[in-house]
Amino acid sequence: MGVTVLQPYPLPEGKSGAHIIDQLSKRLLSLGATHAGQFLVDCESYISTPQPHNGSPGRAVHVLHDSEHPASTFSIIDNGTGKQVALVADNSFDLLMGKVTNTFTSKKQTKIESRGARFEYGDFVIKLGSVTMMEHFKGILIEIEYKACVILAYCWEMIREVLQGFLGIGVGKDFPSYFATQTIMTAMGQQQLHAKHNDIFEPMDTVKQYLEQFTNYRKHVALLGGMGSGPGGPPVHMSPSVVGHAHRP
Amino acid sequence: MSNSVNISVETTCENQIREIGYDGTELYQPPPTLSESLAKCAARIDFSKTSLDDLKKEEKTAAAATEDDKDATQFQESLWPWDAVRNKLKDALTEICVLSDVISVAKDKRYLVLDPLLEEADDTKPIVQVYSRKKAISQAAQVLLGGAERLRSAHSEQRSRNVSDFHIELLRLRQNWRLKKVSNAIIGDLSYRTAGSKFGMSGTFEVTKAEEAADEDAPTSSNNSSSGTSGNNGMQLKASSALRVIVPAELQGVAYIKVITQKDQEDLCTAQVNLMGHGPNITAQTGVWQKTLEFAQNVLFCKELFAQLAREAIQLQAPIPHVVIGNQIRATLLPNIQLIISLCHSTTFDSSQPAPINDHDHVLEHSLHQLLREVHYKNSHHPFPHPASAPLGPTKKRMLAGPMAADRETLLDMTKSQTILEQIIAQAQHIFMRKRTQYVLDTLARDVKDPQIVSHWNAMNSPTMSCVKINIVTHGYDAIGRTSLVIHVKERSLKCICRDGRVMRLSYEPQELRDLILCQINSHQISCLISLARCMAWTVLSNSNHLGIGKVEPLGNASSCLLASPNSDRMIAVQIRCDPQIDVKVYIARSPRQDFFPSPLVPEKLWENLGGNFKEVRFDKIEGKSFLNKMEFLMASLTSNSS
Repeated sequence: MGVTVLQPYPLPEGKSGAHIIDQLSKRLLSLGATHAGQFLVDCESYISTPQPHNGSPGRAVHVLHDSEHPASTFSIIDNGTGKQVALVADNSFDLLMGKVTNTFTSKKQTKIESRGARFEYGDFVIKLGSVTMMEHFKGILIEIEYKACVILAYCWEMIREVLQGFLGIGVGKDFPSYFATQTIMTAMGQQQLHAKHNDIFEPMDTVKQYLEQFTNYRKHVALLGGMGSGPGGPPVHMSPSVVGHAHRP
Repeated sequence: MSNSVNISVETTCENQIREIGYDGTELYQPPPTLSESLAKCAARIDFSKTSLDDLKKEEKTAAAATEDDKDATQFQESLWPWDAVRNKLKDALTEICVLSDVISVAKDKRYLVLDPLLEEADDTKPIVQVYSRKKAISQAAQVLLGGAERLRSAHSEQRSRNVSDFHIELLRLRQNWRLKKVSNAIIGDLSYRTAGSKFGMSGTFEVTKAEEAADEDAPTSSNNSSSGTSGNNGMQLKASSALRVIVPAELQGVAYIKVITQKDQEDLCTAQVNLMGHGPNITAQTGVWQKTLEFAQNVLFCKELFAQLAREAIQLQAPIPHVVIGNQIRATLLPNIQLIISLCHSTTFDSSQPAPINDHDHVLEHSLHQLLREVHYKNSHHPFPHPASAPLGPTKKRMLAGPMAADRETLLDMTKSQTILEQIIAQAQHIFMRKRTQYVLDTLARDVKDPQIVSHWNAMNSPTMSCVKINIVTHGYDAIGRTSLVIHVKERSLKCICRDGRVMRLSYEPQELRDLILCQINSHQISCLISLARCMAWTVLSNSNHLGIGKVEPLGNASSCLLASPNSDRMIAVQIRCDPQIDVKVYIARSPRQDFFPSPLVPEKLWENLGGNFKEVRFDKIEGKSFLNKMEFLMASLTSNSS
């Protein structure tokens, strides 16, 4: 169990997702990685009913599964104001969610998953995932895990180097947004800066990163749906990486 | 709608209890006879009220008054049942009055005299009385004697006979074995089913009464009749049991599992698995059936164990496949070494049979027993917690794997389990490796006298791993230096960890360990020499563990050390090889050299200080008990007080 970082891969114009995945797989295999099965991370969201009247979106429960931890089910409650409560449970948790359908309804349209091939490259495990929501392709999400370390701050540079090596795009020097320094309230009631990249990594962190990425993809659907340009257009937040393209040797 | 229900009503018919005897019998008061009930009823009559005058008065008043007609008739009617009684009593009163009149007249003696009647002489003789009394008493005596005789015979029978009552025996049997009554027969179960076994063979036995003629027959026939099998020891049994157990034919006899480790047809160690000898010795209280049943249970256990091993031997994929022939399983532990597990079942007990092989390997015997019992235990006991809404059976680690987000490798490791055959093979391999390692260390310790090789084996070890700590010290120089290393003996390999942190993995070949120890001795000598030199104030100029000079050796290179005396006027060079024995070569040189003569090429005298040639020392001739001792003397002799 090691540090895992998610990296969304920008889709260049005119190329299909499958083609990109194929290309990246070939690169990895030529580097010496070995193909080691498939992986799947899926997320299903439940919204509380009835909707509260004061306009807030209501509580959402996100239930995620990760094939890397096949015996567990992860769930995160989001009460709309940004506070999240996370839980790791046995697989029977899914049966429990089936029982509370009165309070929480599942929005089947927002079931989102990342599926693809899994490669083992020395101490790294690299997963090339294509994100799909209801059979619509949304993007490519790369997951890289460094099994030998449990603190991101110690190995971020190495991970970044490996990513840049085979992806060919530039990866920013800063820690990923999930690991950025946050302000939290301590038990004493004081605000304190908490550097997440110095914490010991937990499987829950991987799942929370996935949730963050999936939420982004969902928002872009809403955004693009609102704009009327339909899915498949280049996501807005990818522009720095597009700039990174130019730097590719 | 439905059939009417018959209700029966009956009196309780309870008679009063008059007496309760000492043996619990209750004597009821007999119900009153007719005359007694009549007397009871009659006692209720109040004769003072129902006199004749009153009745006549009542009749008159009744006749006079018309209103009282009904009452009178009613009154008279109520008198109807007692009318007869009244009349009879009236007659009786008349008679009594007459009698009293006659007696009073007779008493006066004026008008009536009573004369006594002559009675007949009583001519019964006293002897008749005596005879009648004697007869009565003798009859009573007969009854008492008969009772006493019965008691005495029952008491003596109880004490004299060795065969206990069938029921007492059955009670003892039931205390030790599971019995149940099925229609007319008593069936027992001696299998391990309730302990968690899933073996198909049934272990039911039947309990019957032994034949009655068993007591008086000769002991041989009583042996035959007292047990259904030939499970007795051939001793003459004094007691034969009142009950007999019939054990199924396939469980009769004596069975044991024999484990042999064979090296090229030569037996190295043997083991027997036997359930006997466990448990308290209860044959003194119980009959022969206990031994019979125990033997049968042992046979069942051995059969189950062998069946399980045979099944696993066929299913497992080993590099050299296991062979199952008849009642023998052959597995290869190491090249040329085989493990043979065989089931020996003898149905006829032959006292002339050779005694069981004496050098048991109790460890393997116990292990096989424990492994099967562990399988039984896992079948019947589920690990806690027992959740109400999740499957029962996964271990605690597996239950926690979900909430602890265990990853795939951890989960995969949890599913791996070893079969009994794999485990016993691993244990046998380990036993063999340990014996081999012990042998190598012991022979080395015996052969190499100079540094002493001391091995300390850990007292606590697992069935598949042992540890030994080896200290190489020179006698008398323990404080100077000691080389230690730890060897982990596993099933097919050794892992050696030296003090400096080097980890070496050796295979099962004994020569590798021997070579390793020799190399360690080698480096021990040099490192101790260096420490000794420091103590003696000699300077260590250089040392090397791998010289790389001389002829190529199979066992690594020579190690060497170069020492200079405190005055720097002597140098000692030591070279140690270990091929095949430890070979020590010592050279000394002196400075300034004796044989320096200035030459035109090298004119200055100071070049004599460069040091002379090294001359070999006849090291074996030097006084000293050990290498370090000799070196100490050598250094001492070469140290000189300088000016």
